[in-house]
Parts: sequence; C-alpha cells; structure tokens
Amino acid sequence: MSTFRDTLKTQGPGPASDRSIHAVPALPLLRLESLRKTYRDPMTLKPFMAVRDVTLELERGEIFGLLGPNGAGKTTTIKMLLGLVRPSGGRVLIDGREPSDPDSRRKLGYLPENPCFYDHLTPLEYLDLSGALFGIARQVRQRRANDLLERLGLASHARKPLRKFSKGMTQRVGLAQALINEPTLLILDEPMSGLDPIGRAEVKALLREQRARGVTVLMSSHVLAETESICNRVGILKDGALAEVGAVSALLASGVREWEIAVDRLPDAVVATLLEAGHATERIGARTLVRVADGEALQRMLRTLVDSGVFIHSVEARRETLEEHFVRVLGRPERGEAVS
Amino acid sequence: MTGAFAIAQNTIREVVRQRMVLVLALFGVALVAASQVLSPIALGEGRKVVTDFGLAGSSLLATLLAVMLGSNLLHKELERRTIYAVMAKPIRRSEFLLGKFMGLWVTSAALVAGMTAMVLALLSIVYRDTPWLLLGSLTLTVVELGVITAVVVFFSSFTTPALTAFFAMATIVAGHFADDLLYFATQGASPWITRTTEAVYWLLPHLELFNVRGQVVHGIAVAPERLAFGAAYGLLYMIALLVAAGAIFERREFR
Repeated sequence: MSTFRDTLKTQGPGPASDRSIHAVPALPLLRLESLRKTYRDPMTLKPFMAVRDVTLELERGEIFGLLGPNGAGKTTTIKMLLGLVRPSGGRVLIDGREPSDPDSRRKLGYLPENPCFYDHLTPLEYLDLSGALFGIARQVRQRRANDLLERLGLASHARKPLRKFSKGMTQRVGLAQALINEPTLLILDEPMSGLDPIGRAEVKALLREQRARGVTVLMSSHVLAETESICNRVGILKDGALAEVGAVSALLASGVREWEIAVDRLPDAVVATLLEAGHATERIGARTLVRVADGEALQRMLRTLVDSGVFIHSVEARRETLEEHFVRVLGRPERGEAVS
Repeated sequence: MTGAFAIAQNTIREVVRQRMVLVLALFGVALVAASQVLSPIALGEGRKVVTDFGLAGSSLLATLLAVMLGSNLLHKELERRTIYAVMAKPIRRSEFLLGKFMGLWVTSAALVAGMTAMVLALLSIVYRDTPWLLLGSLTLTVVELGVITAVVVFFSSFTTPALTAFFAMATIVAGHFADDLLYFATQGASPWITRTTEAVYWLLPHLELFNVRGQVVHGIAVAPERLAFGAAYGLLYMIALLVAAGAIFERREFR
C-alpha cells in the first residue's frame, strides 16, 4: 500500500531532487480527521456517540496530553488509532498509513490502560514475545529487553512470573514492551496510573528522554499536575468532542489570578486591618499568607507591610493550574470528576 | 508468519504451564495402567485391550484438551485485555488466530503422541511386541485433532466459551455420525429435509475418516492412500475453517 508520504514523494513535476523526502515539509506523525465512533446500546439499539469529529495533528517530537473525565472518549480514540476499534467516520493516518495496515504499528509503542499481560510469562519472556511480534532479531530483542528492564528498575525481577507483579511493576513492564521496538510514536493510556511518586518521576524522566530522542508521545491522563509539567500541548475531550487544544502555556496564559505574599510574624492588629480591608489571609504556623487580587493592590499591600516592619518572605503570582483550567472548561466541578 | 509463530510458541508455553495438562497426562497414565489391570480378564486378548484402551483414551483426552482450552482461548484474551498490547504490534488478526490454532494443535498433538508412545512402550515391555502400525493411527488422530482445533477456533471467534464448547462438542459428535445422518435422512424423508441434511452432511467434518483404531488393534496396517486422503481432507477442512474464522475475527471490535 502506498503511503501518504510515498504519494508526495512521487507526485508533481520538477527535478528529482525536488521530489526527494528532504524537499517535503515534515508531515504530522499522527493525523486524525473528523474521527467519529458511534456505538449502539445492545438492548435498545439507541446510538451513542463516543467520539465526535475529532480532528488533531501531532507533530514529531512533541508530548501531547489527551485529557478528559471518565467516559469522555479518550480510550476509544486511542483504540481507533491502533485499529482495535473501527471508526464510524473520519480517518486516522499514522505516518501516512491507516491503522488497518499492520505496518502502521511497526514503529509504534503502546501502553494500555490498566495493562494486563500474560501472567504465565516472566518480564524477559514477555519482552521477547513483544520483540518477536515486531520481527526483531532474537539477539537484538534480548539485548533491548535486558537494557529496558535495567532502565525501569526491573532487572532483579526479570525471571519472576508476571502474576506475582504489583500494579506499579506491571505498569513498568508495560512501558518496557512499548519501547522494545524503539518507537517513533508512543501511545500511552494513563501511564502514571498505579505508580507511586518515585515511579511517576521516573516515567516523567523517561518521557522527557524519549522526547529528546525525537519520539512523539500521545498520552491520556487524569494526573493533571504531571501532564502540565511534561506535555507540550494538551487536548481536552468533553463528551467525545475536543473542547480545547493548545500549548499548555497558551491555555494557561489567561494572566495572574492573584498574588500571594508570605510574611513572617505578622502582628494580629495588622491581620485584623487586612481582613477589614477585604484581603484574604491564611496563617500557617508562624507564617501568614496574604492574597491580593491585582497588581495595584499588591503595591499598596507591600508598602503597608514594609511600614509595619514585618519580614516579607516571598511574593508569588498564582496562575491558573491545568487542573483548574480543566474543571473550568468542563464546566461541571460539582460532579466531582476524577481529577487528581 | 513470524507473528503467528510467536503467538503459537506463547500458546504452547501457556498450556504447558497450566496444571490441566499435568492432570490430563496423569489421567492418561492411569488409563494405560487400568488397561493393564483389565488385560488378565481379557481371555488372552490383553494386547488388544491395551492397544484399544490406549488409542481411544489418548484420542479422547487430546480432544477434550483441545475443546476445553480452545473454547476459552480468545475469550480469555479479550476478558483480561492481554490482546490489546499484542494487537498493537504489526500483526494481522488472522495471524494471531493462526498462531493460537497452531499452538493448541501442537500441544494436543504432542499429548496424543506422548500417550501413544506410552502405549507402545507398554506393549513392547509386557508383550515383547512393538506394533509400529500404531503410527498410522497416530498420524490420522493428529490430523483429526487439527480439524477439531480449527472447529473450536472457528466458534470461539464469534461466541462465548460455553457456547463454543457446546457447538464444538456437537460438531464432533455429529462429525463421527455424519454417514448415519445421511442414511437416516434419505429413508423416506421429504425432499426438503433430504437436501438440508445433505448440505449439513457436506459441511460437517467427516471425523470417522480419521478413525482407523479398529483395524490397527487387529494388526491391519493403514493404507498410504487412506493416510494421504485423510491428511488432504483434514488440511483443506482446517484451511476453510480458519479462513472463515479469520474473516469473522477481523470484523470484531475490541471495546
């Protein structure tokens, strides 16, 4: 099957050099065009649109976070990218190939949500199987398997059956099998799930390492603080549709929400004055946090505090976090969606 | 095909590491031992009793293994979601199915071969006789197991484990009585029933074609033409079923 890239390489007039791959602007590694998925209730046959008209392009070497509450369509979207589920409309192109073409997955690594692997195998055997499915030579896949287990802190468990693994360890095996083919595109469904803080830090470091190697990462996540710190761009899915897409910095560039001044040993009299003036204060041990809404109020407050002779420990601008942005975009915080 | 071989190897490993094989193997040993106990009361026909019991028992056990393990083969992959990570690799669904089939067939064939070896060993030790013509029966039993495994894989590609086991067992029983089915249908039945039964007759696997145990027990060798025809029929039947199963499985969605 000719790929989109092949078509561009061979089309058009001009000298041969112009038709070379170098003359073609870098194509997005992953392209979703008006992607839709409709399921039918097996009892009532009533249609339910799980994914509606999602259009998205992922550039090479970026980490893209696909966010959304439970049931927003993240996993269905990912399954359509992998060919596990057929789209009801639209199309997916992975480096110019459709998911129905097995070759579209040759340089793709995938970590499923709550991964479950053959528990009769050891990690070493599972990685060997994964490598064999990619058609990697035995010696190469064995070397890579050992390296990956070492890198993910599983070397000492290499010959232990997977059924004895904790959730966090299984997650690491999942990451290892996703990397066995040295992918150019990594699709990770909830990669932080089940990991402790150290594990999360290690995964973040691993993803940054992959990005530095030029790998494109698409990850879905509920852990917004982690997503904010590693993703170049995010897309927020709401009821199956992309409600917002953009760079994290651009999405959160809606300005400073408030200023927070940390002062030490603030006299009670001054606290009372501040409260009277309508400023929020919060006492944490010997330290008091004073919050003011805008820059002008900040200047006045700082003068007042200096005049009072208190020690100003720090002044910090508080911007909207991705989590706050997420809740605002979804517009239904009262339902207590799973946001962590 | 590399992918199919990798899946087959994994399936063999999975079955071998399940205790069910051990239980069946022990049962096979017990069966051979029981036939040895029965032989003193067989009025001088002990050798035939051992051969008969051994061959029939090993074939039955291997068939049960294929049906029991095979009916859960795909369902377990979907239920435990192990298939997601596998299908995200550059492998076709039909390759995956072929790998599962090959793995199960090889396992059940190895089991029946092992038990036939036990029968041969028993006969050579106790009766100082090594009837190599049992290998003809073994060959056709292995082909029969391939057909049965293909039947199981076909049903498991679109239905539940319980229904797969039920349909597979029904097909196996009907397959052994296919000739009788045709005979009864043509005895004064209406043309519509005759035509339908004829269609069912041709669709069913003719499993009696692979049953040469009776003649082998009586020391009659299996003719090469019978072996060749059985193998050719069996292989064609397997290919047809696997192509149909592949086409069905290709359309399934992994929700």
